Amino acid sequence: MKKIFAIAQKELSVYFRSPIAYVVLIVTIVIFNVFFFAIIDNNEEATLRDIFKVMEFLFVFIIPILTMKVFSEEKQMGTMEFLMTTPTQNNEIVLGKYLGVLLFFSFLIILTIPYYGIIEFFSRPDRMAILTGYIGIWLEGAFFISIGLMVSSWTKSQIVAAILSYLFLFLVYFSSLADKYTNGVVKAIVKYSNVMTHSENFIVGILSSSDLIYFFSGILFCLVMTRISIDTKIWDNV
Amino acid sequence: MISVKHISKQFGVCEALKNISFEIPSGEIVGFLGQNGAGKTTLMRILTAYLPPSSGEAFICGENILSHPVGIRRKIGYLPENPPLYSTMTVKNYLRFAARLKDVSVKYEKAQVDHVLSECHLLEVKDHLIATLSKGYKQRVGIAQAIIHEPEVIILDEPTNGLDPVQIQHVRQLIRRLESKRTVIISTHILSEIEQLAQRVLILKKGEIVADNAIEQIVVSDEKKQLFVTVKGKEEMIEQAVKEANDVKQINIKFLEDDLFEVHLENTNNVSHYNQMIQSFLKYQVKIVSMREKKNSLEEAFLKIHK
Ligand SMILES: Nc1ncnc2c1ncn2[C@@H]1O[C@H](COP(=O)(O)OP(=O)(O)O)[C@@H](O)[C@H]1O
Ligand SMILES: [Mg+2]
Repeated sequence: MKKIFAIAQKELSVYFRSPIAYVVLIVTIVIFNVFFFAIIDNNEEATLRDIFKVMEFLFVFIIPILTMKVFSEEKQMGTMEFLMTTPTQNNEIVLGKYLGVLLFFSFLIILTIPYYGIIEFFSRPDRMAILTGYIGIWLEGAFFISIGLMVSSWTKSQIVAAILSYLFLFLVYFSSLADKYTNGVVKAIVKYSNVMTHSENFIVGILSSSDLIYFFSGILFCLVMTRISIDTKIWDNV
Repeated sequence: MISVKHISKQFGVCEALKNISFEIPSGEIVGFLGQNGAGKTTLMRILTAYLPPSSGEAFICGENILSHPVGIRRKIGYLPENPPLYSTMTVKNYLRFAARLKDVSVKYEKAQVDHVLSECHLLEVKDHLIATLSKGYKQRVGIAQAIIHEPEVIILDEPTNGLDPVQIQHVRQLIRRLESKRTVIISTHILSEIEQLAQRVLILKKGEIVADNAIEQIVVSDEKKQLFVTVKGKEEMIEQAVKEANDVKQINIKFLEDDLFEVHLENTNNVSHYNQMIQSFLKYQVKIVSMREKKNSLEEAFLKIHK
């Protein structure tokens, strides 16, 4: 446990010492701001529904930037050999890194809370829907991060990690576009695997176990895959 | 202490290590010597449980490396070929991070960090970002992280590679100072390195151990000692004197000036201390001006092995 925190802490300190963190924070907030006021302007509805939609769309583009270097850079710099020759379990390495990115991501989400304040101030929003909405997009981000982490564990190259992460995130995010062209079982699979099928429910205030299972099993799967690729040092063998 | 039994390692078709076996007792300083690609790094990575061997077993302090990787790593301090440093961290934060991952208890963490900072002469840069350090400093930070948990075994992969002579001197002094109770393994492709640091050398060639000897043994063993004596006297007398000394064989007599000659002798008997020869010179009234013994360097031994 101590080591998980040590790695998470290191991960955060590396973020805040690199320009990436600040660029991501600033870009996110600026874009978010623009959308926020645009949405508020032509929509009197006092929920964060559209705001959450904008957030999850942003995450698809931002999260690969946060995760691409998590393992790739360690391998590139040779520090992976350091981590793996200390008496640290591979589980602790994976969880420490996951926690690090998750904390940074949570910080990003916390930065949006003032916007909730604005809405609360001017109207009477559906508090329950906002709470579940936050839970939903947080879980969605956590899922995206686990995908990015897994991809980053496969390769030494940050660019390759970023491109593959985009590929996977686009698949789970935009696969709803294939809805029209499929039918039967395929349609059902496409629908179930699409991330918006599940985040939608959270955003409108529905907390269902099937959606929770979707996110938790997705995260677990990606973390186990990450662990396996570290165990086998897959980046050395491909 | 360290026991390696029939270790082999293949990378696809490349056989990096072929049936390697050796033992290293506690407290010994051993050098792995070999050209690039000989398998030094691979061997070290197997000893640190970073890479699994394709076949064979290795034990450290009686524990099998494969079955107790975490326990083994607690006993090993390892400096990989490229010092594994985080450029955006300060030296002190990096060492603190290393201490945490290496199970240094929170209580001793600060003391231990301070200890290695001073042992590796890093106090003046402790708050600098690692990215800003010179190569010599970076290497010392690498060694500092390797020893921070007071490991029983220290494994250093080419610790002086790419440093300038002054930095090399610093790193060597640091390695020599590592307490004598520790077992130290150093790899290098530079011979003088081993001669200066190690007590024993394992020479690797294309994944095989081609020599495993104490340094003195390798240097002395298969060559006779060469002696150069500058003497003053008549040439016939000198020749006569050499003839009478059974322990030495005359190779050459070189005329220097007037009645000064340099006699090149070869010792045929390793135990002899040239007493016979000196007495015989005295008998023939040949004056000894100076004597110098030429030791075979490890380099010559090495070149022979690699012929
Ligand atoms: N991860 C790897 N994949 C494939 N071949 C490797 C790998 N690591 C080392 N080798 C090969 O194994 C041999 C020994 O390499 P190495 O142990 O690095 O030698 P040294 O450290 O003595 O220079 C070399 O021929 C090298 O190409
Ligand atoms: Mg090497």
